[in-house]
Amino acid sequence: MSITTSTTLSATPSQAQFAGWQAQLKLGFEARGQKTVLSQRQRLGPLAVQRPFYPEGAVCHVYLLHPPGGVAGGDELEVQVHTHPQSAALLTSPGAAKFYHSHHLPAQQRQHLSVADGACLEWLPQENIFFPGARVTLDMQVHLQGSARFIGWDIQCLGRPVIQERFTSGSLLFRSQIQRDGVPLLIERLSIQHPHDLDRPAGLNQHAVFGTLYATPADQPVMQTARECLNTEQQAQCGMTLLDGMLVARYLGPDTALAKACFEQIWQAVRPLIMQRDSCIPRIWNT
Amino acid sequence: MSSDSLTLLRLIHLISPSLPIGSFAYSQGLEWLIEQRNIRQPDRLKAWLHDVLTHNMCCLDIPVLARLYAAYAAQDPEQQSYWQHYLIASRETHELRQEERLRGKALVKLLPHLGLDIDEAQAQALGSSQLAAFAYAAASWQISLDQAALGYAWAWLENQVLAATKLIPLGQSAGQAILAELSPGLVESVNQGLNITDADIGAACPQLSLASSGHETQYTRLFRS
Repeated sequence: MSITTSTTLSATPSQAQFAGWQAQLKLGFEARGQKTVLSQRQRLGPLAVQRPFYPEGAVCHVYLLHPPGGVAGGDELEVQVHTHPQSAALLTSPGAAKFYHSHHLPAQQRQHLSVADGACLEWLPQENIFFPGARVTLDMQVHLQGSARFIGWDIQCLGRPVIQERFTSGSLLFRSQIQRDGVPLLIERLSIQHPHDLDRPAGLNQHAVFGTLYATPADQPVMQTARECLNTEQQAQCGMTLLDGMLVARYLGPDTALAKACFEQIWQAVRPLIMQRDSCIPRIWNT
Repeated sequence: MSSDSLTLLRLIHLISPSLPIGSFAYSQGLEWLIEQRNIRQPDRLKAWLHDVLTHNMCCLDIPVLARLYAAYAAQDPEQQSYWQHYLIASRETHELRQEERLRGKALVKLLPHLGLDIDEAQAQALGSSQLAAFAYAAASWQISLDQAALGYAWAWLENQVLAATKLIPLGQSAGQAILAELSPGLVESVNQGLNITDADIGAACPQLSLASSGHETQYTRLFRS
């Protein structure tokens, strides 16, 4: 059974501005013959996807869109993605997500990704940019079943380092949890409450950009491949480790472009080993 | 002398650096940081340790220790298993997980020699984490949670200072001075950590993760983490 529904938010713009946008997007992917189709698309509010396309045949490529162009205080965004057995989907976004100053209420973003036994999901969004004064909670939950394959990343940019703007006010909470068959593989929680949290020597150590790439299942040869695809300079800013069958690469540095370059290279290098597919760079990254 | 005296002695024994569980072999990224010249001076070391103490220790180890302690005292296998998994999944690198597991196994092997019986099934579960094995011993000996948590944090700090003293290198008295200076903050972090709610547990330390990942490929290493 496939359901494709589309609903729009009934609130008037003025109400929406006061309470914030409530946006929800539920996507389901199913294998049909030789390819994967977007079999479920339920939306509420300003979160959408473009028509899926197939630059490499079987894999369903989808761009996530957030038409308002930014997230303000009181907004609540929720994305749920489920890939059914044997399906393969790649999701990305056309541009950075911007989180603006929160005047009254904090904003929330929740992402729930679930990958069934035998399914593949690649979750490769562009970076999140947090403007000074933003108050945001970001939650990412990834549930893997059986032999599910997953490569995902997130890149966070605090303030706009290009114009020497620091994230001097506001509060951010990043929570993520990845589990396989109900057993947690990785739990992370990073909280930025005060400007001095940016300077913590064991924390962000004065860097404005940090990001994490997750790739599973992975073994020693996968990690070796990932290490070798980075040059010495990149290796200094991007640490890698193998956590119970999952490769985790972490970037900490001054620049989102450098973070993206590291992660794209690693993704291209390990994709053939994890997904049994050559890399197929989403065209939107080049625009 | 009261039975409290014996309990105190048990705690001192449990956190003794001479306990043969290999704690001295782990630097938790310090070896890499010192080689990279990130930490060369006592004040940088102190700032680093203070940061890890007020985040990782305060927001992860201590609250999980409190929950495991309660789970062993109540003999609640579901909670024991939940928090053991939670702790391992919160260790951010392979080496930090290995350390958690290897020290857990070593402590579980030792505990019967200290008079604590552990059956096969328990040994398996406890051996997955040194924090779990410590919590089990503390609960079994009825060491108070406050004291057990203080002792645990102290043992960690002492071990870190010993590692850094060797690596930088620092004079013995400089190392001891850092321990003394960080002690009031340690008490505060432990108190805070004991009062943290479930939703606030966890404190990622990206630079610590990077240091620990870097150590995995460090050419010359004295330490195992």
